[in-house]
Amino acid sequence: MTNIDPRVHEALDGERPLESLPPDLRIEAERLLEVAALLAAAPAAASVATRVMAHLAAPRPSRLRRLLEWIAQPQAVTFHLRPVWSLAVAAALAVLALFPGGGPLELGPEEGIAQFVLPASGAHSVHVAGSFNDWRPGAIPLEDRDHDGVWRATIVLPVGQHEYMFVVDGERWVADPNAGRYVDDDFGRENAVLIVRPPSP
Amino acid sequence: MKLLLLLACAALPLAAQSVRPRLEGRVPADVIPLIDSIVQAAAADSLPTEPLVQKALEGGAKHVSGDRIVLAVRLRRDRLEAARALLVRAGDPPPVTPVKVTAVATALSRGVPAPTVERVVAGLPAEPRAAALQALADLLAHKFDPDSSAQLILDAARLGVPHGRFLDVATAVIHEMQRGSTREVALARVRAGLPSLPAPARPAPKVVSNAKRPGV
Repeated sequence: MTNIDPRVHEALDGERPLESLPPDLRIEAERLLEVAALLAAAPAAASVATRVMAHLAAPRPSRLRRLLEWIAQPQAVTFHLRPVWSLAVAAALAVLALFPGGGPLELGPEEGIAQFVLPASGAHSVHVAGSFNDWRPGAIPLEDRDHDGVWRATIVLPVGQHEYMFVVDGERWVADPNAGRYVDDDFGRENAVLIVRPPSP
Repeated sequence: MKLLLLLACAALPLAAQSVRPRLEGRVPADVIPLIDSIVQAAAADSLPTEPLVQKALEGGAKHVSGDRIVLAVRLRRDRLEAARALLVRAGDPPPVTPVKVTAVATALSRGVPAPTVERVVAGLPAEPRAAALQALADLLAHKFDPDSSAQLILDAARLGVPHGRFLDVATAVIHEMQRGSTREVALARVRAGLPSLPAPARPAPKVVSNAKRPGV
């Protein structure tokens, strides 16, 4: 035990201001306050049991759990590729992007391509119906993808001569103004005539 | 003999097959029996029946009255009969198949005069004939002289132009006229260049790859 002046005790207990102490006692009181502050800031020492448990190995998780944790966590993946292979991969991806669906359509020997185009601004729908689809008005739609009022469809049809008309908004039958070949439909209008040819060799 | 018997047995059910199921819901119900009977009679008469069914379906799709549909089907049957008579008159070797009859009937309905069709029928065998008549109809649609046009197509066949390219002959003549030649000059120029022809227009690969099959 050390003998501390009672006035210092009073100052440490807040019963008297430090400034009221004589200089020597005031220095002693300030030192004691610094020591008290250091003790208050020091971390509490871990108990013996805690320190022992920290040294024991934790139970190893199952393989499945480790696999799931590995999948869930972000992983850095590094490929070491020569530049020539990088270019080849880029070219292959470009081909896939340009030819979606696995490449050009295979046409049979008795099949050809027919392109239908109808300028019809303001129309809500355009279909083509003809002898190639039993004149079903809603079976083959044309599309106006860029909203320029020009409707288009490209269809695979059997080789031969077909008659057709466009059906605008589901009810208005319109002859193809660009067909170039027409025939009387015997109902007071004209059907367009389409000749589908086999693909050239 | 056995083969003929087999063919006859196979043909009987086809001739008797009703087209009512194809017409039901597509054509006014009250005229379906009449149209079916016209089709059955045409089949019994060895005329093509599909153009008759198509005409009925077309009329139904266009919401035409039943009476007008029947009238149009009868008119088409009459044209098929006329086409068959023309084939016989032109000395076409039998059998008169539905394909031959349909090709002639189509040419007649597109405005090719019967004497011109007869000339082509007499000058060409069955296979290239349909293509020749299509090319001829294209030329006549642009007001070319029927006889000169028929002569050009017959010359093209004689000079070895494949029948798959007869339409290209007509297209070359039409393009020549559109470049400023008179019809006579256009015909003569293309005739002078045969059998060589400009390459036909081909769809771009992207167009082909984007094509869809109906119903897919």
